[in-house]
Amino acid sequence: MIRYSLITILLLLAAFVVQQFLPAFTGIHHSRILLVQIVFLCCAVTVGTRTMLVLAFLGGFFWDAQCTLSGHCGGLDVYTQQVDSLRFGYSILLFGAMGFLMLGIQPLFHRGKWQVSALLSGIAVMLYLSAEYAIINFVRGDFILTQATVLQMVFSSLVTMLFAPVIFWALFRIAEACDHSINPEAGRRRQRAF
Amino acid sequence: MKPLNLIALLFFLAGAGWALTRSDRTVREIQNAYYAVMSPFLKSGSELETKARAFLEETRHSKTLEIELDVTRQQYDRLRLIESQFRALENENAQLRHALDFTKATHFEVVAARVIRRNPTTWWQTVEIDAGSKRGIGTQLAVLSNEGLVGMIDRIDNGGERSSVLLLTDEKCQVSARVEGSPEVGILSGQRGGFDGDPLLRLKFLSAAAALRPGQKVLSTGRGGTFQPNILLGTIQSVEKGALDSEALVIPAVNFADLDAVFVVLSTDS
Repeated sequence: MIRYSLITILLLLAAFVVQQFLPAFTGIHHSRILLVQIVFLCCAVTVGTRTMLVLAFLGGFFWDAQCTLSGHCGGLDVYTQQVDSLRFGYSILLFGAMGFLMLGIQPLFHRGKWQVSALLSGIAVMLYLSAEYAIINFVRGDFILTQATVLQMVFSSLVTMLFAPVIFWALFRIAEACDHSINPEAGRRRQRAF
Repeated sequence: MKPLNLIALLFFLAGAGWALTRSDRTVREIQNAYYAVMSPFLKSGSELETKARAFLEETRHSKTLEIELDVTRQQYDRLRLIESQFRALENENAQLRHALDFTKATHFEVVAARVIRRNPTTWWQTVEIDAGSKRGIGTQLAVLSNEGLVGMIDRIDNGGERSSVLLLTDEKCQVSARVEGSPEVGILSGQRGGFDGDPLLRLKFLSAAAALRPGQKVLSTGRGGTFQPNILLGTIQSVEKGALDSEALVIPAVNFADLDAVFVVLSTDS
């Protein structure tokens, strides 16, 4: 169990490295594969609350380290209405919220229905992007939602969700190698059937 | 909830609270440490992106490339001419400043750089360039292309070989601007969610009776300390009149979809 948890943390850190090699698809409404988020979501459904919280903290912390913009732009005497940016650390809370969402369907995953988790991971990514965009609107004032933004969020969620089966496959192999079962009920059912 | 999970949740919330209350300086230090670790991967990632882009470019029709080469040659000749005129004007300006007993000498140095990575984040309109502090680049410096203003330096990587440029099309990049041939001045910035198609900029805080017409040039005023005056920003597309003020939609001078070579202005003297 501990070995598996440590490997999920390493997997999440590796996702940050691979994310650097994944550019935005300019032809598909600037959508992108959010590998860090999908790895976190898939790991979250296979671990306990404590490990999920560690993953959420690390995921959110490093994601913000990668994406946070500078806090100022030009002289305050001229630019009196500065455009606020998202505060460093907000992603930690968003990752935590997504993690709890995935933990909510853990019973289904334990019964071997990983497909539901894969589908929910896509929905969770969509919710994550929506929440992020809503926060941007909140801190900057005015609610502006263009068709381009909606399409960007939808396609990002879809292309990211396509990676969920691959991540789950990798997690099953890792769990096997660690002698740990991530869906024990399904395993018991299979044993009974034999 | 199990007691241990509750304790873990409290630690998590405390950690999140700690992160949310960090100062800008601490955040920069955290980012520097993060990018120092990521630097080798970023380099490989951007090389891969550059190669992929080069491959796509190569597969384009040779006729198109020939036409582009001709256009580029013409632009190059034109820019050489402009540069020589600019140098002459710079010298003249420096002489005039000396004549007026200005205490500071005029500097206008640029560093050429290539765009190596586009839009690395989801919501912010940024690009990364292959020049950093090793070539004298710091944050808050203007970045130009041969067409006009591109944006400003937002972050320098720890290794000093790369920088992140906040593009003019981002809502956070604000430029004090004036409209040529009119007394109107305002603040120009990008628009939220303007990812697809040709992005438009928004010129705010114009007077309610602003008499502007499409096609008028928008230039920087030089106020605010980041951008030099008279840099071309774009042209007026339309004007939206309000009760208290007016706003104008501006077509950017720079083609951001085709951005390749840029110039970082090292001096902030205007």
